[in-house]
Amino acid sequence: MNQVYIKQNVEESHQNMKKASPVLEVKDLNIYYGDHHAVKHINMPIEEKSITALIGPSGCGKSTFLRTINRMNDLIHGARSEGEILYGGINLLTSKVDVVQLRKEIGMVFQRPNPFPKSIYENLVLSLKFSGIRDKKKLKDIAEDCLRKAALWDEVKDRLDKSALSLSGGQQQRLCIARALALKPKVLLLDEPSSALDPVSSSKIEELLLKLKEEYTIVIVTHNMQQAARIADKTAFFYQGELVEYGDTSQMFSHPAEKRTEDYISGRFG
Amino acid sequence: MTSKITNRIALSVIVLCALVMTATLAALLGYILYHGLSAISLSFLTKDSSSFQAGGGIKNQLWNSFYILFATMLFTVPLGLCGGIYLSEYAKPNKLTHFIRSCVEVLASLPSIVVGMFGLLIFVNYFGWQYSILSGALALTVFNLPVIVRVTEDALQSVPRELREGGLALGVTQWHTIKTIVVPAAFPGILTGIILSAGRVFGESAALLFTAGLSTPNLDFSNWNPMSMTSPLNPFRSAETLSVHIWQVNTAGITPDIQTIANGSSAVLVLCVLGFNLFARIVGKFIDRKLTGKA
Repeated sequence: MNQVYIKQNVEESHQNMKKASPVLEVKDLNIYYGDHHAVKHINMPIEEKSITALIGPSGCGKSTFLRTINRMNDLIHGARSEGEILYGGINLLTSKVDVVQLRKEIGMVFQRPNPFPKSIYENLVLSLKFSGIRDKKKLKDIAEDCLRKAALWDEVKDRLDKSALSLSGGQQQRLCIARALALKPKVLLLDEPSSALDPVSSSKIEELLLKLKEEYTIVIVTHNMQQAARIADKTAFFYQGELVEYGDTSQMFSHPAEKRTEDYISGRFG
Repeated sequence: MTSKITNRIALSVIVLCALVMTATLAALLGYILYHGLSAISLSFLTKDSSSFQAGGGIKNQLWNSFYILFATMLFTVPLGLCGGIYLSEYAKPNKLTHFIRSCVEVLASLPSIVVGMFGLLIFVNYFGWQYSILSGALALTVFNLPVIVRVTEDALQSVPRELREGGLALGVTQWHTIKTIVVPAAFPGILTGIILSAGRVFGESAALLFTAGLSTPNLDFSNWNPMSMTSPLNPFRSAETLSVHIWQVNTAGITPDIQTIANGSSAVLVLCVLGFNLFARIVGKFIDRKLTGKA
């Protein structure tokens, strides 16, 4: 089963090799919580229109790293970061960066589906209304477009005015993805988006991500190694705050360069 | 075996406590309603009170109670909401916010008669507003503000952090996230708290004795000019509320039907407060259902 996927990925990543160029460039990134050095000296590119998976045992710093890219970690008391994350030549970590604008271009989906306790439609257009779009027709079109992209339109088109909390967990998560697409971000960050979902919903999310990577750059944190093997073009293995190995997913899962990577993906720890 | 017995004893004690509580409430309510309901009639609710003849009503007192309640809420709700939002969403955990929080707690535990004396000194004497609806409402604001701040803060704190992050991650500013996501999510809790506190304000008497006064001028309910002394809307006239009326009738009344008036007024007061509580529950449930899509 895995072999087949890996083979597909090999072919895909070969195609990607030609067109890929890094949209984000991480340079000597260090993240601290107070005195705790949570993420140490990370250097890695994140390539455009591809899926990059961040794997590693709990507490290895992969979520922290992800949340630093769109500066969500600013909200945590005592968190600070050093180094550079370059996005279009601009270091995202400086105080000059407008985080509101940044988060419009780098969207995020969280581990637990977090739809707002409002109607499905309101969930989709909340950020658009904030950006000053008032035209009802335009809002409706974008909402439909996002729902179609998130493969949710057929399931909810008759009940857009119903509460988003009436959806199932998997639908809620796809709504959150649709909501993140509304602002047409360049990058989509996903923090274990399917770990709280059942296998069927989870595989729907995976299908969706494979489709979305044609248009968006996707970075996904996952605990599920099969998931990383199935969908990711590039994989980064984190361990105790360090980036142990980064490379083509197929390469890493078939011939890991590091002993620790091999131990982790073969299930010896983690 | 022994753990089973301990368990049973604990359970019986808890059930007993619950029974005592329920029984007390039932007895109190039963007593008040049994004696009071017979005194309530349309004429009792719509007639002016009389100072020495039998058969006086509580029209003005009832109006005053609702008017003061309205004015108090007009001051407390915006202030309390802002305070609660600040403490819950913006205040960083440091000495200053700790101090503010202690102040709110101390203010909440002040005896209402002390608040009344404070009102007498500041609003009635210093600002020269006399015994008036305004002075009374401001004293009750001091009395009720900490409650609203607390209620708001608690309701906002119970909104999951994920919702805030969800808003911010969409490139929405903190204020807009609070305004359009967090506060609406906390709204049922805030509203329930506000309505419940309204019951407390409605029944308050000690804080009003020296601020809103013990008498009401002759009111002309066809005169709605708020500047006129006989207008029910005038905020600068003295105003005896229902609960103050109960106290007043019982301590200084000289009409022959003191007992009936006190009983009837108490029943009306209790029914109003009960009404507030029921209303709070119904509204809270309704909004909650609407938000979660179970309706």
